[in-house]
Amino acid sequence: MNAAYFIAPAAIATISAVLAALISITDSIVNNYGDVVININDGSKELDVKGGANMLVTLAETGIFIPSACGGRGSCGECKVKVTSDIGPHLPTEIPYLSKEQLSENVRLSCQVKLKTDVAIEVPEYLFKVQQYDGVVESIKDVTHDIKEVYVKLSDGAEVDFRAGQYGQIEVPPYGKIRERTQRAYSMASVPADTTHLGFLIRLVPGGIVTTYVHEHMHEGEKMKVIAPFGEFFVRETDAAMICVAGGSGMAPFRSIFYDRIAKGKMEERDIWYFFGARTEKDLFYLDELKKMEEEHECFHFIAALSEPEEGSGWSGETGLITEVLDKYLKEIVPSDQPKEGYLCGSPGMLDACMAVMRNHEMQDEKIYFDKFA
Amino acid sequence: MTPVISPFSLFFASIFTSNILLANFLGMCSFISISKDMKSSNGLGLAVVVVLTVTTGVNWAVLHLILIPLGLVYLRFIVFIIVIAAVVQMLEMIIDRVSQTLYMSLGIFLPLITVNCAILGVSLFMEIRNYSFIQSIIFGLGSGLGWWLAIMLLSAMRKKIEKAPVPAGLQGSGITMITIGFMAMAFMGFSGMLQVQ
Amino acid sequence: MKMSPEYVKAQANMQPGEITSDGFLGDDSRPLVDIIAADEEIMASLGITFEKAVERMHYLMDEGRKGLEEPVTVDGRWVVRVSEARGFLASPFEDGIFRKVNARVERAPDGKPTGDVLLFSELSIHLMEKYHFLQGKGSPFRIEPSSIKKVLEL
Repeated sequence: MNAAYFIAPAAIATISAVLAALISITDSIVNNYGDVVININDGSKELDVKGGANMLVTLAETGIFIPSACGGRGSCGECKVKVTSDIGPHLPTEIPYLSKEQLSENVRLSCQVKLKTDVAIEVPEYLFKVQQYDGVVESIKDVTHDIKEVYVKLSDGAEVDFRAGQYGQIEVPPYGKIRERTQRAYSMASVPADTTHLGFLIRLVPGGIVTTYVHEHMHEGEKMKVIAPFGEFFVRETDAAMICVAGGSGMAPFRSIFYDRIAKGKMEERDIWYFFGARTEKDLFYLDELKKMEEEHECFHFIAALSEPEEGSGWSGETGLITEVLDKYLKEIVPSDQPKEGYLCGSPGMLDACMAVMRNHEMQDEKIYFDKFA
Repeated sequence: MTPVISPFSLFFASIFTSNILLANFLGMCSFISISKDMKSSNGLGLAVVVVLTVTTGVNWAVLHLILIPLGLVYLRFIVFIIVIAAVVQMLEMIIDRVSQTLYMSLGIFLPLITVNCAILGVSLFMEIRNYSFIQSIIFGLGSGLGWWLAIMLLSAMRKKIEKAPVPAGLQGSGITMITIGFMAMAFMGFSGMLQVQ
Repeated sequence: MKMSPEYVKAQANMQPGEITSDGFLGDDSRPLVDIIAADEEIMASLGITFEKAVERMHYLMDEGRKGLEEPVTVDGRWVVRVSEARGFLASPFEDGIFRKVNARVERAPDGKPTGDVLLFSELSIHLMEKYHFLQGKGSPFRIEPSSIKKVLEL
């Protein structure tokens, strides 16, 4: 064997090896951001973390959970954080989600900001209460043809502390064609008194990543991660009558709120009018529970409204669009001189329409509450 | 042997009279597809300038310090491409670290450049014409600037053509090719001024 | 065919599981720009412009919204049902976020449904308007040019 035959492959191999080594050296120098200090709320908390990853994920690793409905993919705009130090201009991926005011205050999307140097941020205090819980799916029940009630038992004796009306983020694993874990937000349907469980109402949305998983793949006994509690949708402690409107899975926070008030003995303190809108009888659920609640508590009124009751079904309740029924009751049945607060949970279109009806009956915008993540 | 040509003439010639795109027709595909948008064209053009300068220099070193002494000049095609790919990769990482905004608008074009035939072409010209190291750098820089110039000119013209009443059959690629042809003819007017080939 | 980085990123975002569970490309494995170019040709051969189609789709969606998720008869020619889910969808081109509003338009001359249906969302109107993108064949929200012509009566 003539040694000369080996020179060519050897030369190429050596050149490639040298170049590969150069690339990995450059990589370790350039992509090594070292340790970075995150200064939170003007020094009230200081975290020493490894740089290089985005802020959302890094904060989550230290136990601080910024809300995210898309799991850090940059498609929900929920993970806003105010950054008080200079980290460069806004990236094109952040801009569509920020208002002019937010841009001027250097509010950033924490899932898009890579931690390269020390930063100072401002974060609302209530976020420090948010924790990640490992749980096991205890039950999955069909409540209507397209809504499932899912109860998760928290593992390792963990207990959750939340206000009725808040929401949590559940995470589902990769499945089918979907290669990454996905997180989405759902209001808690369980009661705060039940500290070892979290319950959700999940409606099947066509093409929805998480809802499809829950309806077609999730099974009891499966492990699930929940990050909670988030949200500012809860009952304000005043004497005003509560005008509550929900549709579909919007029942969840209200169920939590009503049972919570019963448990705390507060149910008799104010008038509650609960309007639930649906299309046909198939879309109604928890009817027995709510009827019982109405019988046992004089100031609680439950009004279900169907927009298209099936013929011959003998539906004797209200019919029509929920906004029409709401309007009728505010005009004729709910005492008009009573101060009222509005609580809404449903799709944005329904929210806007109901708010318009409420305004017509002199309810003020500041006293109408709804979950922002819609 | 190493051609006798003043650095200035070489620089000027590689930008204009021997424009890598319009006189040698190398680097056409991204030239045509990216010139639709002026901002992208600028970004890509600048990236090409950097890559061309660096790779021509590095390839000269590899050629003269490794391939020629070992009698492996016939391997130049493979080796040049490997070097180009590696250089582009490292440049991408460095730009990402130094300025993320710059990376987002410019750096993201770098992977696209590895397969741009102008990059390999310039290295091969450097080899055929036996340039010295300094000449290689000048040639690489000049060719890059010439490429950038050409793509900026074309994207500006395409923006104007968008508003022009082009016959249906020629819209899109048709009129673009014709425009490039006219540009090439215009640059041919430089020939005879300074020859490098 | 080489695509600009914007389109390369958009094609990556259109894969199943990135933004929606089925993705935007269906079974079509061609590059994004080829899909768009092919659809532009079909639209041109059918004599419809994207502008007119988008205008009509906006109109039908706005009229349909008034029904608050109930079917609405519009102009005596279509039955439209607009439904909405909570949350947002990001555009694969990273140029905005959209509410999850879906419209189902059925051609119904004189109020009688014909079974010719077109499904589209607020996001799909945006993609059509700005990028002439009708989604890949096999995607549940694919808008066929022939359906546009038939259902929207253009």
